[in-house]
Amino acid sequence: MQTTNDKLSSTFSALADPTRRAILARLTSGEASVSELAKPMKMTMPAVTKHLKVLQRAGLIRQERRAQWRPCYLVAAPLKEASDWVDQYRKFWEESLNRLEDYLKVLQAQKVSESVSKKSKRKKKDD
Amino acid sequence: MTNAATGAPEPREISNEKIFDAPRELVWNAWTDPEHIKQWWGPIGFTTTTKHFDFQPGGQWLHTMHGPDGTDYPNEITYKVIEKPSRIEYEHGNCPLFYTTVIFEDLGDKTRLSMRMLFRSQEERDDTAEKYGAIEGLEQTLGRLEEFLASNS
Repeated sequence: MQTTNDKLSSTFSALADPTRRAILARLTSGEASVSELAKPMKMTMPAVTKHLKVLQRAGLIRQERRAQWRPCYLVAAPLKEASDWVDQYRKFWEESLNRLEDYLKVLQAQKVSESVSKKSKRKKKDD
Repeated sequence: MTNAATGAPEPREISNEKIFDAPRELVWNAWTDPEHIKQWWGPIGFTTTTKHFDFQPGGQWLHTMHGPDGTDYPNEITYKVIEKPSRIEYEHGNCPLFYTTVIFEDLGDKTRLSMRMLFRSQEERDDTAEKYGAIEGLEQTLGRLEEFLASNS
């Protein structure tokens, strides 16, 4: 189902990197500064900043300006949307395969009744 | 596809398996003939109209799904691999994109259908190395995010 859009794609792209996922995971326990995020990752500040920009563009985090302190924090909505999309895809297939199961039963039944009628026709001919 | 160590499904993909009480040839036909496909494709309440159906590698199935609320969803599927009667691979959507593999396994009177849907971002599509894992990332992050989402969304 194509309920997808560029926003969803940028969410998935942003998530397609382990460092960025680690940053998001860290932010679930509260806001953090760039240096606080860089420290446990053993990365340079510019390297972390690069990842933060991707996350920011995808709308997954925001950075506030408060005097000397510029904390990053998590924005939940796009992740929720992406998760809903995956759920929708799962539902699509669960329901489609159930429908396929029912349809195959119908086809099988038709086949049986066709072969029965063929047999009975043949029988009539033979008689 | 499961993780050998834990037996858990590979988290970067959506997979599905079902055994049908029908011979493989019939299940294959149900997947490869638009007259059959429209009878079951989509969630309950959806109908499907096919505009173009070209079942060969590189060929496309263009169709519109009509939702129960009247919303139309145009769809584009491009078949990548077709190995009658056991395997179909196709791409679906554009952003994001799913690469789907469908395996038809002959169990005599029954058929085991295994599906694997692998998410690919645009950058992954351009990059053949499968080093990304967006769904895995999503679910790992969401696992930790559950409480956060409940209080913030």
